[in-house]
Amino acid sequence: MMWELAATVVEHRVRAPNQYELILHAPPIAETAQPGQFVMVRPMAVYAPLWRRPYSIWRANPDKGVFSIFYAVQGPFTELLSLKPVGATLSVLGPLGNSFQPVEGVKRHILVAGGVGAPPLSFLATRLVSGLPKGQRLVMLAGARRRDLLVGLDEFRALGAEVHVATEDGSQGYAGLVTDLLEQALSEPVPSAVYACGPNAMLQVVSQICRTRSVPCQISLDAPMPCGVGACGGCAVPIALPEGGVWYRRACVEGPVFRAEEVRWE
Amino acid sequence: MTDLRVRLGRLTLTNPVMTAAGCVGYGLEYAPLVDWSQAGALVVKTITLAPRAGNPPPRVAETPAGMLHTIGLQNEGVETFVREILPRLRTLGVPIVVSIGGETLAEYRAVAEALSQAEEIAALEVNLACPDTEAGYAEFGRSPERTTQVIETVRNATPLPLIAKLSPHAGDPVPIARAAVSAGAEILCLINSPWGMAVDAHTQRFRLATAVGGLSGPAIKPIALYAVWRVRQAMPETPLIGVGGICTWEDAVEFMLVGAAAVQVGTAHYMQPRVLTEILAGLRAYAESRQLERIETLVGALA
Repeated sequence: MMWELAATVVEHRVRAPNQYELILHAPPIAETAQPGQFVMVRPMAVYAPLWRRPYSIWRANPDKGVFSIFYAVQGPFTELLSLKPVGATLSVLGPLGNSFQPVEGVKRHILVAGGVGAPPLSFLATRLVSGLPKGQRLVMLAGARRRDLLVGLDEFRALGAEVHVATEDGSQGYAGLVTDLLEQALSEPVPSAVYACGPNAMLQVVSQICRTRSVPCQISLDAPMPCGVGACGGCAVPIALPEGGVWYRRACVEGPVFRAEEVRWE
Repeated sequence: MTDLRVRLGRLTLTNPVMTAAGCVGYGLEYAPLVDWSQAGALVVKTITLAPRAGNPPPRVAETPAGMLHTIGLQNEGVETFVREILPRLRTLGVPIVVSIGGETLAEYRAVAEALSQAEEIAALEVNLACPDTEAGYAEFGRSPERTTQVIETVRNATPLPLIAKLSPHAGDPVPIARAAVSAGAEILCLINSPWGMAVDAHTQRFRLATAVGGLSGPAIKPIALYAVWRVRQAMPETPLIGVGGICTWEDAVEFMLVGAAAVQVGTAHYMQPRVLTEILAGLRAYAESRQLERIETLVGALA
């Protein structure tokens, strides 16, 4: 089920310089959202900017009827979003898309986040921890260009995850790419599953690493997305068909979470 | 109470607000949010003979007051459409118009024949913007000769009411409009998406995988209004459907004033899924506040 409704702004919580957690009151969405799902947001009543924007659901609290999304102020759309005062409403369409599926029969769940990919994995981490059998480990690998762009890692630590950080400029943790941390982690012979969210270039490398080692991997893909409900065909993801050839699936309906091995990278 | 019915040749609609082909998919995707039985008609996306995978991504790009798209007619093909999708469309309680496409005259004919054997299709809308592989990939709709050939081919293949959706790339739309009507189109729909382009200065790449795509949204409304007005002046007897950037009931009224008997709403659904019913409510209030007996009295008042 999906809804288009007027969600009330509860708070713009500062999470990093110019980066916010927007908490919205919208009970039907808060009650039904699953990790990996997203909403399409429209803060304006006019047609400029034109499109709604998709945002992954960061956290949801069904009891309070609230959920949150993460945004960084860059450009006219996010500026409009940031100007919405507490108590004002904005149009939200959702929850949309499929969700991450916890893999059974593994000893270790590895979350891999690049930049703004961390918040949506936090929702998954909460779900994984609540159902985690004894002896299973939760590992969070977070990468960003600089340390101030790392967001929401405390929540992973609070859930008991082992958190490892990579920054491209070396300002925190390992100096380099988060995919290097994944290689290192997977060199440990522990049956693992990988869940990744971040830039598509990162997801491509994550997919390759997991394929080489036959590790089950789910990735949340980003694509330009006009409608969010599967009508326009804009957010096409190339899928390798088992019988050969390519078909395009919609990131908004058949995704945004795909099994890494089914995506055909261009 | 204003009578909202509009007559487009043999096709009578309960009101003049339709969806635009390609924009709302098969309509089913929006069914959880939208009551399609309110619409004058639901125009489903272009169906071709064989399934088409469509174009590689990126397929869409946002532009000022508009969007570029190059979906590449991704669809399941006419056989699957008739067997699996059409039965579900019949439950929506709205007249179904099917947009048809092809890369050859034979393909247009085969799609039209297959759909004519299906029940409960209100009309066919011929998408003339398809790549014409027999003439080197220009659109069919660019030339009056090819327009005539496509429409004649479809006309001979179907008894259904026929809408020709005209390309905006033919210069003066009137010769193409006349060609389509002479060949058997009963209704004209103006306009299909003009071609456009977007370039990313930072990456020095095109923003669409195919470089060129159709432009939709409020950006094209003035072009569409002009095309409707121009054809209405030249061919006042031919029923016209206006399409291009319609987002509000005022937009719909404007198209009717310059000669459109009905309008199609497309891109606006992405911003507001229930836009069609909003437009319809606005149109009804406008007509009643002016004590119009029939909404049709607006049509062409400014043409």
